[in-house]
Amino acid sequence: MTRTVEDMASFDSTVRHACAVAVSDEHLWELSSAFLSAGLAAGDQVKYFDDGTSDRVLERMFDDGVDIDASLASGQLEVVPPEATRAAILTPIDVMRGLVDELIEDALAEGYSGVRWTGQLSHALNRPAGMLDYELMLDAAVAGRPARVLCLYDRAHYPDDVIEDMRRGHRVEIETTTVYDDNLLRITSTGIGSARLAGEVDHSNRPQVRKLLLAELDRALRSPTGPHEIRLDVSSLRFIDVAGAVGLVHAAEEFPSSHKLVLDGVRPRVARVLDRCGAPFASQLMTIPRPDRPIPSTAGADE
Amino acid sequence: MKIENRRSAQIVALQHRCGFYASQRDLVDLLVPMVGAALTRGSTVALAVAPETADAVEEALGPAPQLVRLSEPGPGCHSGQTLAARRARELRELTALHGPITMIAQHRSELDGADGAFWTELDAAYGIALADMPVELTCFYPELPLHQSILDGARHTHPMLLVGGDPVENPEHMSPRSVLAEYPAPSPALLGAPDLQIEFGAWQLNEVRDELERALLSAGYGRTRAEDFVLAVNEIATNAVEHGSPDARLYVWLDGDGVTEGAVCEVHDRGTLRDPLPGLAAPHSAEPRGRGVWIARQICESLHVWSDKSGTHVRLHAGRPV
Repeated sequence: MTRTVEDMASFDSTVRHACAVAVSDEHLWELSSAFLSAGLAAGDQVKYFDDGTSDRVLERMFDDGVDIDASLASGQLEVVPPEATRAAILTPIDVMRGLVDELIEDALAEGYSGVRWTGQLSHALNRPAGMLDYELMLDAAVAGRPARVLCLYDRAHYPDDVIEDMRRGHRVEIETTTVYDDNLLRITSTGIGSARLAGEVDHSNRPQVRKLLLAELDRALRSPTGPHEIRLDVSSLRFIDVAGAVGLVHAAEEFPSSHKLVLDGVRPRVARVLDRCGAPFASQLMTIPRPDRPIPSTAGADE
Repeated sequence: MKIENRRSAQIVALQHRCGFYASQRDLVDLLVPMVGAALTRGSTVALAVAPETADAVEEALGPAPQLVRLSEPGPGCHSGQTLAARRARELRELTALHGPITMIAQHRSELDGADGAFWTELDAAYGIALADMPVELTCFYPELPLHQSILDGARHTHPMLLVGGDPVENPEHMSPRSVLAEYPAPSPALLGAPDLQIEFGAWQLNEVRDELERALLSAGYGRTRAEDFVLAVNEIATNAVEHGSPDARLYVWLDGDGVTEGAVCEVHDRGTLRDPLPGLAAPHSAEPRGRGVWIARQICESLHVWSDKSGTHVRLHAGRPV
């Protein structure tokens, strides 16, 4: 079997069924949201098979600019509840094939351009027959049809050997580039002079942020067409400690006067720490707030 | 040509004096001319005295808008450093509005605690928290308090003594930090079994935050208050593993300490403090360190640091759930 490695943007007409291995929780939400959000933008019906993770995925989609409340209300986005997800996973393979066909036909009948789904499907580890027959069935079911499936694996939910088997069992693997990820803070590059932080900044990973800012500033200064703003997307940054916030304020003040640090999508919790650390008085620091989204009451319900 | 330097550097700094009184009546007799003179000078006067003292001064001088009463310490006030931090906040506001402040403080025996160490801690903490503020603070102590140690402490914490109404230099004065080395901040009353107990290292601060936040939300705190208190505890916990010992401990009581409602946390590590009363002085913007504890003090209802042979300890009160 030929295997190719693609990035999320190339999940196009040719790719129907791919896998991705998340190195951390933040990476998992990032992959899920990128795949689902692209589907909403393309006019697909989008389904997330939940098993205790949907709150975090929806939160990440909100960070990514998706109007999730409208998408959920219209039915274009659907979260399949955990019981239904688990029941579907344990269905015999021929019945499941019927369900997949139905999923595609229903979406087309409702006027969507296609259907795509992903989810927390680790309950499949409990299938006596294993997981490979499911992947083979999917390959056949979606071939040439307007359907896309992303199978997500992460080390918190799957044993290492299963992940390796699953990588071999997929023709296409989606890869993303990571600047830094310690399972608490994830940093990804989003272009020259810009990056995205997701997760939490504290004593354990604070120096990474400083390192990132220096590197991005250096890149921006060296590039003749480089931007005059170092832009950090912090919409998925849930916590920053005092020294971390002071570090951002000081870094901005130490920038050459031609350059600014822009924090885009600052959550209220992060904004309050920045305010206490002198951010409003730093002339080279700009903050753009992220609208607050109430945390769904189902958070932590899987405990 | 002679170049004359006409700049004069006006040093903005705390002037901290100690006066003594024989009786309540004696105190009022001392205060009335003193406060009257300050008001005449145009200075705002802040009173941190017993209500009956403030009433008597007001009665003698008549109503004056520049005569301000600072907040009452309240029954749960066992921490001199917490009261000093609160006074610093109140005075910062007053000096911003009115310029230099004359502050009068009076010993209150109900705050003595077991041995009166509260007062030594409070005065030492004033020396740090108000150090760079345009405040003339005179603390009045009874000539015969219940605990002799109160007078011993007062003789070391005040740079000036009031003798016959005039300030004279106090030869026994010591810097706040040396005072605290000799008279350490007292440990608060022990609490019962905690509702939550977490041992943590530098890589588990996120777990400390998560568990504490869940506990606070379930105890009825609103999201903003819970998040802010978690930040305060995070800063103390960070110090514990950064400067203290690689392993530290957090205890959480959700139902208060028997006097004050609301969640109480204690962070313990086995390290020693370089600064016996951290986070009291407002951080300088160029100084990246030391801001965490200062911010934690601003957030908490009370934050008490003490140390002993077993290490460094911090008790934080979240205040009533809001």
